[in-house]
Amino acid sequence: MAPLMRLASLVFLASLGGGTHAADLPLEYAVKASYLYKFAPFVQWPSTAFDTPTAPLSICIAGSDPFGPALSEAVRGQRVNGHPIVVRRVEAVRPGLTCQILYVGGEDTSAALQAVAHEPILTVTDHNRSGAGGMIQFVMMAGRVRFSIDQAAAQGNGIAISSKLLGLAVSVNR
Amino acid sequence: MRESLRTWRFRYIAAAGLLWLAATSACAESIEDLRDLSLDELANVSVSSVSKTRQALSDAPAAVFVITHEDIVRSGAATLPEILRLAPNLYVAQSSASAYTITARGLSGDQGAVDFTNKLLVLIDGRSVYSPFYSGVFWDMQDVLPDDVERVEVISGPGATLWGANAFNGVVNIITRRSGETQGLLAVADGGARERSGGLRYGGRLGETLTARIYLRGYDDDETLTPAGARAKDDWWRVQGGFRLDWAPTARDALTFQGDLMNGRISALRGGDTLTRNRNLLARWTRTQDDGGSLELQTYFDRSGRDILLNGGRFSIDTYDIYLQHNDAPGGKDDFVWGGGVRASRFDTTGNASIYFKPPQRTLLLANIFAQYGWAFAPSAKLTLGLKAEKDPYVGTSLLPTARLAWKPADPLLLWTAISRAVRSPTPFDRDVVEARNTIPILVGNSGFRTEKLTAFEAGTRVQATANAAFSVSAYYNLYDDLKTLGITPVTIIPLYWENAIKGRAYGLEAWGDLSLAHWWKLRAGFSLLHERFRFARGRNGFLPADQVGNDPPRQATLSSSFNIAQGIFLDADFRYVGPLTHPAVASYCELGGRIGWRLTDQLQISVSGLNLLHKWHQELPTDTANQVPRSILAGLKWRL
Repeated sequence: MAPLMRLASLVFLASLGGGTHAADLPLEYAVKASYLYKFAPFVQWPSTAFDTPTAPLSICIAGSDPFGPALSEAVRGQRVNGHPIVVRRVEAVRPGLTCQILYVGGEDTSAALQAVAHEPILTVTDHNRSGAGGMIQFVMMAGRVRFSIDQAAAQGNGIAISSKLLGLAVSVNR
Repeated sequence: MRESLRTWRFRYIAAAGLLWLAATSACAESIEDLRDLSLDELANVSVSSVSKTRQALSDAPAAVFVITHEDIVRSGAATLPEILRLAPNLYVAQSSASAYTITARGLSGDQGAVDFTNKLLVLIDGRSVYSPFYSGVFWDMQDVLPDDVERVEVISGPGATLWGANAFNGVVNIITRRSGETQGLLAVADGGARERSGGLRYGGRLGETLTARIYLRGYDDDETLTPAGARAKDDWWRVQGGFRLDWAPTARDALTFQGDLMNGRISALRGGDTLTRNRNLLARWTRTQDDGGSLELQTYFDRSGRDILLNGGRFSIDTYDIYLQHNDAPGGKDDFVWGGGVRASRFDTTGNASIYFKPPQRTLLLANIFAQYGWAFAPSAKLTLGLKAEKDPYVGTSLLPTARLAWKPADPLLLWTAISRAVRSPTPFDRDVVEARNTIPILVGNSGFRTEKLTAFEAGTRVQATANAAFSVSAYYNLYDDLKTLGITPVTIIPLYWENAIKGRAYGLEAWGDLSLAHWWKLRAGFSLLHERFRFARGRNGFLPADQVGNDPPRQATLSSSFNIAQGIFLDADFRYVGPLTHPAVASYCELGGRIGWRLTDQLQISVSGLNLLHKWHQELPTDTANQVPRSILAGLKWRL
């Protein structure tokens, strides 16, 4: 029975460990938050976007913030091509903002997107009919969170999006 | 040997019990659980089957097990039945090189009494693949390219209210990836001494919002041995090709077109091969509304046929199906689903001396409407009430209600309970069949055959014990009435005929859990118990004892391990124990499968996989109807560009 005891103690230990759940997000926002940092490996920014090869990759959140601290906790310790990921809350979006990814929450997105219209920043918004849309827009489709990509807008600002990400998109504006 | 096996078996069951107490659901619940998902997987988080509304698996009030893409690819399973062995809430048993018995919660029938397994609804991308001929599934005619499967949702228990009359004891929902997720070239080949398979797929983007894939796949399997050890001559092959187009003309609309062509040939011991074929074409349109609701319209055509070359028996069935479903979320928290559908199946049979149908041609019309409301009457509780009215071609209208209650007292814990009713509608095989020997009818269909009925009581829990461990336990109590039996003609005994003379009950338990011991080592255990008791209705008796409706194992257990040895080297093993069958008797058995995969480059992967490694041959079903199942070892190559 020795192997069994060993297994039992292993199971017991495993169930004690872990378990610190981040503040729980509705699944829809947990998925959107995960996308925000999982997009990064499939995006190539112009070299001017980073000061040094190990400078942090900033995910900025502007407008209404549906993610709260869960996103910061999720990216803790994660790196993309040598860049550690950090999450920043931005109160007012102005030209010259130093972010690589900018999520603008809520319906009123036009002003923020306008401010960074010529920056090498991957802008992300939810799909909505009234406000303007980012380079990536989340859309709900058949109960899943999907996204469409405005490749033309990204290219215009020197951002290259990999074909893998384009393939996953619901639609691509070239 | 026997003694040591028993000790070993006990140890295994004890370990499995411990594991499911600790053990990770297939679902991702919090942002931390999503961390390990790839982008493709993230794009598919959601479970559609149970409530047909947008709902996470963790909230689904039913016994749902999800076989993920990764599970399938890492197991090395080459056929659908072998993939379904990964679900702890199914019973899968092989009876010849190409034939399987697959059930959930018992009632596997009696192959010897030609009472075939017929109480499962199986869908491939929304197309129903159980045969309207006899409600069972010809597993040798269903195929998918394993690398293109997104997931398989296995629901044990009735799903009749939303899914239809044959969702009696379970629903198997096979979902392939959208073509946008299967881009590029993929070539797979697996070969061994017993079976060989190969597949080729190419996916491309045809336009801004239009993606497509085409594929071709072949499978070839050698003969097995009869129980006596003679060559069974049941070797077979199958070739299938198809396409899928996904088009999103607007951000709110998604259109899918897909189709497949299949041809196969199965040898027979007494000579005379069986030819199988299937052609199908499906179109689906989904419109998502800004308020979160959605509308889905789907239609398909399916032509299936089998020819038995020896004696000229053949049949062909053309099915036309259309269905519409609307999902709504009134008030944000509640959900409301309604819809309906019509299916017309035209069958055309050519009988032979031993089996024919009266009439030989007929059109079967099946129609249904349904509605279901999920009422979130408290922040942590939801009551779902649903009703379906289904009109089947023989009996008339059946009402199929369900009530499900889900309670989430704390986030990692879900408790649920349900009461549902399901029926299996009569088919030509119950009503119109004549089986004869030397021109004398020995078994005939019965124009008085009614629906088989089930009232099911279920309860379960799903617990995310820690970030690394989760488990699910479900218990059920099924009350059956009017189950199918062989009746006797007074005085002359033959012809025997089908009638509804058995009542009964079944209760059981299904449990499974996952445990991540490290990010490179995952364990999963599953366990099921089933107790069935049947009796003849008052004043009735039959040709065979009441256990003719199901010869099912009283217990099953599985244990599997997914181990990443090093970067790009994967070792997977799955062990299964299947309890004994009693009438006719088959001994319990243990078997082991495994696979080592080695990703040499991003493009090239090689593997060695094995099925049924513990015995050169073993018997899974009674010797009067089933052959022995072989050990099989395969070397594989996977190349993608």
